[in-house]
Amino acid sequence: MITAKLLSRFGLSASALIVALLAIAILFPLANLALPPENPLHVPSHLLPLLGKYLCYAMLALALDLVWGYCGILSLGHGAFFALGGYAMGMYLMRQIGPRGVYADPILPDFMVFLNWQELPWFWYGFDQFWFACLMVLLVPGALAFVFGWFAFRSRVTGVYLSIITQALTYALLLAFFRNDMGFGGNNGLTDFKEILGFSLQADSTRAALFAASAIMLALTFALCRAITLSKLGKVMQALTNAENRVRFIGYRVEHVKLFAFTLSAMIAGIAGALYVPQVGIINPGEFAPANSIEVVIWTAVGGRGTLLGPIFGALLVNGGKSYFTAAFPEVWLFALGALFIAVTLFLPKGIVGLVTQLQERFAARKAAAKRQKQTAPPAKPALNPEAAE
Amino acid sequence: MLNPKKFLKAASLSAMLATTLVSGSASAEETIKVGILHSLSGTMAISETTLKDAMLMLIEDQNAKGGLLGKKLEPVVVDPASDWPLFAEKAKELLAVHKVDAVFGNWTSVSRKSVLPVFEELNGILFYPVQYEGEESQRNVFYTGAAPNQQAIPAVDYLLENEEVERWVLAGTDYVYPRTTNKILAAYLKAKGVADEDIMINYTPFGHSDWQTIVSDIKAFGSAGKKTAVVSTINGDANVPFYKELGNQGISAEDIPVVAFSVGEEELAGLDTEPLVGHLAAWNYFQSVETEANYEFIAKWKDFTKDINRVTNDPMEAHYIGFNMWVKAVEKAGSTEVDSVIDALVGVSVPNLSGGYSTMMPNHHITKPVLIGEIQADGQFEIVDQTDGLVAGDAWSDYLPDSAKLISDWRAPLSCGNYNVETKSCGGDS
Amino acid sequence: MYSKLLQLVASALLVVVALSFQSAHAEPAPQQLVNALATGKLKQKPAQIEALAATKNPAIIPVLQALIEGELFYLKNDGQVVIAPQSGPMIDAATGKPLSGLNKSSLKKIKANNKVRRIARAAIAKLTLQSPVLAERQAAVEALFKAAKPESLSLLLEAQKNETDPQLQTRLAQAIALISLQDKAATAKAQQAAIAQLRSLGGQQALALLQAFTARDDIAPQEKEAATRAVEAIEKSMALWGIGQNVWYGLSLGSVLLLAAIGLAITFGVMGIINMAHGEMVMLGAYTTFVVQEVIRSSFPGVFEYSLAIALPLAFLVAGSVGFAMERGIIRFLYGRPLETLLATWGVSLVLQQAVRSIFGPTNKQVGNPEWMSGAYELGGLMLTANRLWILAFALLVFALLLVVLRRTRFGLQMRAVTQNRRMAASMGIRTPWVDAFTFALGSGIAGIAGVALSQIANVSPNLGQTYIIDSFMVVVFGGVGNLWGTLVGAMTLGVANKFLEPYAGAVLAKILTLVFIILFIQKRPRGLFAQKGRAVEA
Repeated sequence: MITAKLLSRFGLSASALIVALLAIAILFPLANLALPPENPLHVPSHLLPLLGKYLCYAMLALALDLVWGYCGILSLGHGAFFALGGYAMGMYLMRQIGPRGVYADPILPDFMVFLNWQELPWFWYGFDQFWFACLMVLLVPGALAFVFGWFAFRSRVTGVYLSIITQALTYALLLAFFRNDMGFGGNNGLTDFKEILGFSLQADSTRAALFAASAIMLALTFALCRAITLSKLGKVMQALTNAENRVRFIGYRVEHVKLFAFTLSAMIAGIAGALYVPQVGIINPGEFAPANSIEVVIWTAVGGRGTLLGPIFGALLVNGGKSYFTAAFPEVWLFALGALFIAVTLFLPKGIVGLVTQLQERFAARKAAAKRQKQTAPPAKPALNPEAAE
Repeated sequence: MLNPKKFLKAASLSAMLATTLVSGSASAEETIKVGILHSLSGTMAISETTLKDAMLMLIEDQNAKGGLLGKKLEPVVVDPASDWPLFAEKAKELLAVHKVDAVFGNWTSVSRKSVLPVFEELNGILFYPVQYEGEESQRNVFYTGAAPNQQAIPAVDYLLENEEVERWVLAGTDYVYPRTTNKILAAYLKAKGVADEDIMINYTPFGHSDWQTIVSDIKAFGSAGKKTAVVSTINGDANVPFYKELGNQGISAEDIPVVAFSVGEEELAGLDTEPLVGHLAAWNYFQSVETEANYEFIAKWKDFTKDINRVTNDPMEAHYIGFNMWVKAVEKAGSTEVDSVIDALVGVSVPNLSGGYSTMMPNHHITKPVLIGEIQADGQFEIVDQTDGLVAGDAWSDYLPDSAKLISDWRAPLSCGNYNVETKSCGGDS
Repeated sequence: MYSKLLQLVASALLVVVALSFQSAHAEPAPQQLVNALATGKLKQKPAQIEALAATKNPAIIPVLQALIEGELFYLKNDGQVVIAPQSGPMIDAATGKPLSGLNKSSLKKIKANNKVRRIARAAIAKLTLQSPVLAERQAAVEALFKAAKPESLSLLLEAQKNETDPQLQTRLAQAIALISLQDKAATAKAQQAAIAQLRSLGGQQALALLQAFTARDDIAPQEKEAATRAVEAIEKSMALWGIGQNVWYGLSLGSVLLLAAIGLAITFGVMGIINMAHGEMVMLGAYTTFVVQEVIRSSFPGVFEYSLAIALPLAFLVAGSVGFAMERGIIRFLYGRPLETLLATWGVSLVLQQAVRSIFGPTNKQVGNPEWMSGAYELGGLMLTANRLWILAFALLVFALLLVVLRRTRFGLQMRAVTQNRRMAASMGIRTPWVDAFTFALGSGIAGIAGVALSQIANVSPNLGQTYIIDSFMVVVFGGVGNLWGTLVGAMTLGVANKFLEPYAGAVLAKILTLVFIILFIQKRPRGLFAQKGRAVEA
């Protein structure tokens, strides 16, 4: 019954993804914990956090697709929201270490003792509470996106100008977080986490739970994004991508729509970051690097922009490929990665999902043609007109 | 109600991943695997690729000598791409998938911090070959690079004694190694009677390229009638423009000498060293060390890389020492089993390239001589000073109040990396 | 500047001394003292040099000179000290007679460190202060000026009496002033003269001495008064010059930004391609310079001074043809999809980086500075380094040339026509695909020649491009996409702003503040400093 409801609301492929994600969330941890290592279906312990990491990346790509694919805002700074979410979670995990740090200081994290800080800076207050950290995971990226977007959209900064200032944003944050004086551990970032909510981070069961949480969160955020894009608001958003001025002339408050999507997207990115940190065990300013944000754009494009499904597959594929190639061909893997990006742009302009739909349509058209015994042109898919850079 | 096509795709994708990641473990068991965890791309490739090559050479060499315990050594190279979380992922892969018996790797502090929990959890062995800030001693890690007391303090002593330096510029890149080193040095200098206003501390971001303002500040600071020196903990990439600016603004080593802790032969290879003659560096090894072992090592290296212009440097020697220590410990333990090798490693003594023996101390740091070298026009260093004996690496600095009370000893019964002598307890849980 | 001067003087000195040896009328250097240099540790060297200097024998000059240059050796078997220049015959240090039949392997170098060199230089200076050769005297005065020790006061006063060269007279007077201000025994008259002299000299060294002087309590009130006023005057003039210096630093940083960004102003600004491989074009230019220099070093060492001039057209060609190939092979399929160019060019940038890494290795490559690009010029209180000066001039030249190409040539006209209205241009008979290809090649080629210039101040490594790409985009966007003047003004503004912030905020915060400034500025002017107007904007 639930599936029927899902189907009617979200369509076939989206429902399939949600169900698949939920299934993975249960099956993979089970296969890890319950099956003995000899079993061919056993999922090795080291693989689970790795896949969990991919799922977090997928969530980040999903967040980007909401603004890029549906509002035409190409953010080159989404990594910043991801990292901020990660830092919020990292600060909680840091406070959880308590007196088990190397200097055994009950309050101050090791790096502060190390640099002779005398007391905890004010912005670290409250992070010993999980609920507070969770709140911050949403609020910090959300507030930053809101303020940034409020100014930018109101001033009608669009196109590449917007892209470049989002890049400036993440670059400025990168430099700021590198500073040891900021109180976030400088280049070393936050690391050496012990436990989350009292469960050891090194335990297989905690990892399985984190993986399941990532899969479920991805399913939920996907459902949320899907619901939004299917709603009336979603229609307006899509209209924005095609002709922003016309939407404005019709009477919609374009900047409000954009602001909503941008803020929501930043919050999703924050959640992704928060789930990412306990699974990889470190958060450092490198996550703010503009190159990372560009990579997110690439996952989205590889999978298929403006499809919500595509970015998820794109993130999984590119990162899986990266993991494989960096070990299998450590000397030349960048060639492969570079070639992949070029090939995708040239031959798969709508990404992998676009290719699949195209094939499906062609197949359907051929079937229809054979059936009706007459020539019909394949239905033209409404082209998403990418934001012009002038 | 699944869309079969979609589900198949997802399933096959994850299956593909799983098989590719697991397949490594299927290979033959007759070899002893050695993991090499150095960035081959990204910002750190500049420094780390050399160390990968050095490791390959050492392993090849050992195999030519008949391997280890009658088995061949097999290097497993991965590329963590200067991406810190990827370091942890790759470390996990090396230990869990490839089941390597030891890992040689890392350069930056953050990458080491990133892999520490992995080595602790999966019980691996890591040899870390780069000079670092200290304040760490982990059971699974062996620190073959210099701790601050094996590099910074002897260098400052040299300047105090030989150059009668009275004013100090502590210039560094803003990360934990320079911060700690400068903290230790400032405390040390004050203990030696240097006034606060005679110490200038400056931090710059990674890859800083425009040094005009800072170099002119240094020049102004140094022309106040007192002998001035710069202690540089500026990181790799930023050094080339820094030295170029020094040369262009006419600061010669005879006026304001710069002593660097991160500039070695490899960094100088990218520089015209003519204007830099006389500036200093402190290391535990220079290519110009005059010993037979070193000549042999250099010849082998040039032969291995098929490039007569390739230089050797301190972290390479650290790997040389670390690798030989591991080999010896494995032979001593009679197996590659991690716990027994870790126990066997403490106390192992192997020749270093500067004519002495380096020993693995109970705190997992090693003993080394400290050399002070002056840059020559040919990009090499001339050794102008050397500590009389070997200096043992001190994990916890005596000049930082919170770490002065900690000691590290991994032998039974203490078996602790951060034992607090005041509270008589092993801090933290490591 | 000093070091360059010193080098020059030192080599002149060497020649002169060598000549005087050949005439062999000088008394030989004391053999025992010379050979003592081969014994003992570094710490004993200063005393050994002092002992040599005490003989006041000019024959020790070449020995000390060789010690400074690292050309002094001793025979391993009997400890005889010899001078072994890099080229030319070996000489017995004590007697100055040429030696034959010696192999370099039988020699061991006598080490010197900075302190030893400094002392040796001072010893030489004392002996050559009254030399008949002007260059020798100059070097001597400079060395004593730097050291400014009371014990050389009488020597300097002696020299002052006999000096005929007016410039050197002033320098001598300044050196004497520096010393007599520290001298407790100096008369009030000497002090006053010294204060006046230092006031006109200015600079940090004089300031520090004067400040120390005013803090003394054994001086008369009027001297104290004069010194205080001198301190104020120097501080004021230094503050003024400091502003000028900051402007210069800013302009020179701006010129680097301009060079890095100017190619992008074409490929991104004019053509609208988000060219992430732009940095790699700069890198290719830098590597071309490296290759040119390698070839020159190995085959034509004589033309090293012109290596950059040779590298310029080659870098333009290399980067330009890679750009051309990129446009023909990839980008031309992506017109109308500008954001997708970001992806493809990012891919290209990864491939180019890895290609360079595979071919040249990951380490930094050494690109030498020609003589005319080293050193510095002093202009009042300003210090202008030669390489920065050339880069600024070069950046402006490239900018001017590009402007001429765009405004005054047929190609420029076609280029503007195509970017403003492609279809209209096509129907007027312009072969738009070729114009596209050549425009992109032009932008890439310009990035290549920027690489030649940047190789002089930056690391030449596969990461070179990555360091400049973000700043380049900031500059172009800040200045206004599609406007060359915007790029110029943008680069200079950001450079100067950064350098004025740096002394107060530090290098990192200055950069962060600049970025925040760009973000805020774009809110105010969403299309940059020089916004494009007209219909093309909405196209």
